[in-house]
Amino acid sequence: MKLSKLIYSAGAALTFSTLSTTVLAAGDTVPVKAMADALHLVMDSDRSIYTRKIVNRLVKKEKVIKASEHFEDDKALVLPAQMFRFGAELVQKRAKKLPDVNFSYSLQSLWPINKQNAPKTKAEKDGLKFVADNKGQNYYTEETLGGQKYFTAVYADTGVAPVCVSCHNKHKDTPKDDFKIGDVMGGVVIRIPVGM
Amino acid sequence: MRRFNLAFVLQLILLISCKTNTANANPDKLILEFDSNNLQAGRKIWINNCKGCHAYGTAGAPVPMDRDDWKTRVLKDRSALYNHAINGFFGPDDTMMPERGGNPDLSDTQVKLAVDYMLELANFYIKKQNK
Repeated sequence: MKLSKLIYSAGAALTFSTLSTTVLAAGDTVPVKAMADALHLVMDSDRSIYTRKIVNRLVKKEKVIKASEHFEDDKALVLPAQMFRFGAELVQKRAKKLPDVNFSYSLQSLWPINKQNAPKTKAEKDGLKFVADNKGQNYYTEETLGGQKYFTAVYADTGVAPVCVSCHNKHKDTPKDDFKIGDVMGGVVIRIPVGM
Repeated sequence: MRRFNLAFVLQLILLISCKTNTANANPDKLILEFDSNNLQAGRKIWINNCKGCHAYGTAGAPVPMDRDDWKTRVLKDRSALYNHAINGFFGPDDTMMPERGGNPDLSDTQVKLAVDYMLELANFYIKKQNK
């Protein structure tokens, strides 16, 4: 089933439920919150597997290759966060050729090394602050951008390896240098248009 | 995507009327205190160094409040758990426990106190969920 159908069908489901309800009213409908959660689950799982089975195994355990922010110059693996970002960029590019597919996602931070990854909308800022202040919780809201209404979800992005934390703390462009492992360092923002 | 019908009008009304909301529970109230001085010291170390991953299952970290995560781990020799926490450990799915929870300033004794606290917490929830 096409994503647009799922999202479109969310309308029917929501007429019988609330944002937090996942029981569907009719066969193949998915509430928009469940759609965002499902998208994030896939993204997060893929990234976790890349981190574990590629980076942890080859870099840390078997020590056969490095992972580096400058992966081309260093002939190294891309960092998990870079892999995630490249995926988001490819989705955006490919989705342009799929008019029925209409969503976007990005990795952002209140303390970005690259200023392009800072939040731009109020919902993004509020969401990133919320997930940083309320560990273990997600943030959901609606926002209107350019006359279009969106469902926007923000999920915490946590520093889980010493290299994530040390690289951010020591980077010349970092606005924050006291991250610890387990700290929320940013968030994944998923935006789905509604009411089209 | 130009399709538009009553369902979407109703959806819009619902979305507009829905306040911003969040999901998932805060685990802080599950991080119990125990009487022993060592366990109280271990709890503080655990909160400051281990909670960030172990309270939430981040990166595959086993959650002591989850019986299924710890029912086999609590049966292991405690020295193996100390060793994993002090020296780091790769799990069977290539999960990675960093040395000393990523805090090189922690002494062996402090790491062991945190492990002892996590085991006590895990045993508490295993017993509770067995009832």
